[in-house]
Amino acid sequence: MPATRPSSDLILHRLSSSDYEIKLKAIREVKNQIIGNRTKKISYIKLGAVPAVADALAQADADNDCGSNLIVQSAAVLGSFACGVDQGVRAVLDAGAFPYLIRLLSAADEKVVDAAARSLRMIYQSKLAPKFDFFKEENMDFLLSLLRSENENLTGLGAGIVIHSCETSGEQNILCHAGTLEKLISGLDGSISQRDASLESLATILQNNPEAVTKFAGLQNGRALGSVIELTKDRYSRTRLLACLCLICIKNSSSCYLQDIGIKTKLIYILLELLDDSGQVGEEAPFAFSSLVAGKEDLQKLAFEANAIDKFYSHLQNCALHPKRLEGIFLALADLCSKLECCRLKFMSLQVLNLLVNALTHDEANVRTAACICLKSVSRSIKNLSAGCFMNERIVIPLVRLLSDLSTSVQVAALGAISNIVVDFTPDKSTFIQCGGIKELVQLTKSMDSSLRLNAVWSLRNMVFLADKMCKEAIVMELTVSSVASLICDPEPSVQEQALALVRNFVDGCMDCVEFAFAEDGIILEAVGRQLRKSSKIEIGIQGMYILSNIASGNEFHKEAIMHLLFPQAENGSRSFFSQYLQSSDSHLRTAAAWVIVNLTALASPGAFGRVVKLRNVGIVSQIKRMVNDSCMDVKLRARLALGQIISFGDS
Amino acid sequence: MSLFWIVIRQLAEIEAMAASKKVITREDWEKKLNNVKIRKEDMNKLVMNFLVTEGYVEAAEKFRKESGTEPDIDLATITDRMAVKKAVQSGNVEDAIEKVNDLNPEILDTNPQLFFHLQQQRLIELIRNGKVEEALEFAQEELAPRGEENQSFLEELERTVALLAFEDVSNCPVGELLDISQRLKTASEVNAAILTSQSHEKDPKLPSLLKMLLWAQNQLDEKATYPRIKDLSTAALEDPV
Repeated sequence: MPATRPSSDLILHRLSSSDYEIKLKAIREVKNQIIGNRTKKISYIKLGAVPAVADALAQADADNDCGSNLIVQSAAVLGSFACGVDQGVRAVLDAGAFPYLIRLLSAADEKVVDAAARSLRMIYQSKLAPKFDFFKEENMDFLLSLLRSENENLTGLGAGIVIHSCETSGEQNILCHAGTLEKLISGLDGSISQRDASLESLATILQNNPEAVTKFAGLQNGRALGSVIELTKDRYSRTRLLACLCLICIKNSSSCYLQDIGIKTKLIYILLELLDDSGQVGEEAPFAFSSLVAGKEDLQKLAFEANAIDKFYSHLQNCALHPKRLEGIFLALADLCSKLECCRLKFMSLQVLNLLVNALTHDEANVRTAACICLKSVSRSIKNLSAGCFMNERIVIPLVRLLSDLSTSVQVAALGAISNIVVDFTPDKSTFIQCGGIKELVQLTKSMDSSLRLNAVWSLRNMVFLADKMCKEAIVMELTVSSVASLICDPEPSVQEQALALVRNFVDGCMDCVEFAFAEDGIILEAVGRQLRKSSKIEIGIQGMYILSNIASGNEFHKEAIMHLLFPQAENGSRSFFSQYLQSSDSHLRTAAAWVIVNLTALASPGAFGRVVKLRNVGIVSQIKRMVNDSCMDVKLRARLALGQIISFGDS
Repeated sequence: MSLFWIVIRQLAEIEAMAASKKVITREDWEKKLNNVKIRKEDMNKLVMNFLVTEGYVEAAEKFRKESGTEPDIDLATITDRMAVKKAVQSGNVEDAIEKVNDLNPEILDTNPQLFFHLQQQRLIELIRNGKVEEALEFAQEELAPRGEENQSFLEELERTVALLAFEDVSNCPVGELLDISQRLKTASEVNAAILTSQSHEKDPKLPSLLKMLLWAQNQLDEKATYPRIKDLSTAALEDPV
């Protein structure tokens, strides 16, 4: 039995021996030790075996038998070091073996070529492999010569290079123009490995590239597309999956292809069936399913009819599921439930929620994230929200705990779910408050990470929506007036928008709530005014206008404060920011601005006459008059309502 | 396989005709069978596929000469594959691993389950030969890290190590690991992996064709009475009772 651990540097000594037999034997020994064995790979890498083997490769002469034996064995060793271990890829690249391996591809001895090609393919499977520059003419010639080759290892290497290095649409286009599509299509008739490699590289070139898809679909009168469709029925599960992925890339790049309901249904059934594969294919299938149905209501409907939710559920019930599989299934369910209520109801009726709750505390961060994303999707159901299905300790406690998760993506995903769940339409949010949810959210509004700030403010905004006074008070107490003011002036416009929306929901409702905007010398209202004056973002304008409109529905003091904010001095109103908002090209913004006028001129309030006079003086009334025939129905109605009130004070 | 579909179509026709259970005489049946034309080349390919996949290299060579059927794989690679298979079958697992790595270093690097099973077989052979200490060390050094990576490997490893706990292994609950059948199982797994790496299907077509024949007969049994094939080795038609 060989020594189980590379115990000394004796092996290094033998690897660099000048005696051919000793050297060859040492290389073979390393090879047979490390293949399939991650632990051994790492210990040999630490020992420094990689540079020794790379030297052996570099010094050997491919033109004689001894030399080519050494090359074949050492290339196999380097390839194995690079297989599945990033540390190994780095060591092989650092040892300078890469250019030697490339050079050996043009050797006369086929065994040498095979060994070098295999090694390079392993290297290209890693992200660490050097980026291949397709824009260099000689590189493209080299790539085409690989793809054109009769040798499967060489065509496989060519495909591997495309899969690894083709990322931008510029790279996709240059590959299309150089004729790679044609070469790859001919690989679809080849052996199993050639077909798989061709499918994967085609998907890489076609992804998000309508131009490339059009070119591909037109090749050989559409027969190329036909061959890919045919391969979705292949007997090998990996080939079926790759063919599906290729079709999904085509469909997602340009919706005009594969519109036929038959092929859509077929893709759904094939992917669902691939879930049963016990290996990698089964792990990847739900991710492919996700990209197929994401954002497409028609496909979600078809998947629903194909009982996709039952199928995912039955897989989830197997508790020994690999984390990758769990992650994929929850993401697939998230996409499936993102639009259709029927899917969400099915999800709830099957009690998938119980399994989801378990996944919220899974060891793997990716699984926790996926479970949160799924929960966010399912909790879009107003029916279930109204029924209070989510606002209970079993869900809220683990979810709040995730707000202090070590992984930011988990935190963001948990915030997403919380944002929906707190809109529960029932005034009782005590479950969430009692388990410290508000504290956690407020903490996250102070995060350095803008996506965390954004989603935390968003959650608070939704929480305040239609909330009772007690809940609002609890939030102000924790959040403080001054930090609301500073969130309104956050460096990120998206955070500003959510902070304004939070204030808008706050000042909605009873008179006490309106007072909130005036707390601490009115710093919040001041911040709102500042944003409205300087911002060019329509969304910010809309939220700001609704804040003003909500406050203007309050008492005399509140209304006058808004008048003062809109028209600080007796300046010409037609140049004010408010006048610009009334003329905005966005109808939502026009509507929101018109609402402000409606509330300022409400007939029941004693000071309305004075305000109408002022509005007329600054030219706003004439603007409102012009809006009564607005193309947007909402704007038209508000403008007419406002004008009706204004006229009742006398039209002069 | 075209032959199969011809038979199925025939059966479907019969099925369509039969309102109740129909009786088909031997004469009619044979007439129908004679109408099915099967190309000799296809039959030969089927035979060659069987010989190649199962690794009967000499028979394949002879058959090639006699029938002119070209094998879909280089016959030399069969010899290598058979050497690997034989090494596992005779308990020389280390030797088998080296041979597989010479054939294609990717096979065991990209197939963790097969690699584990070969290592497990190595452990079994050590235990069989009474090398207890060596077996323990091997399990710890080589197999335990694989168990950490994969739960099902860990369970299999525990089962295997359990062999050491029994004095009379022939009577212990995990004794079947020492059976020759375990070697054969591992050997056929290696064989299949090598075939797949050579882009060749891992199972011969003939047995699945026979399975389809049995299935088709079972389907037909519900609709008709006809001379069926009971003994697959002679393929003789037996008169209905």
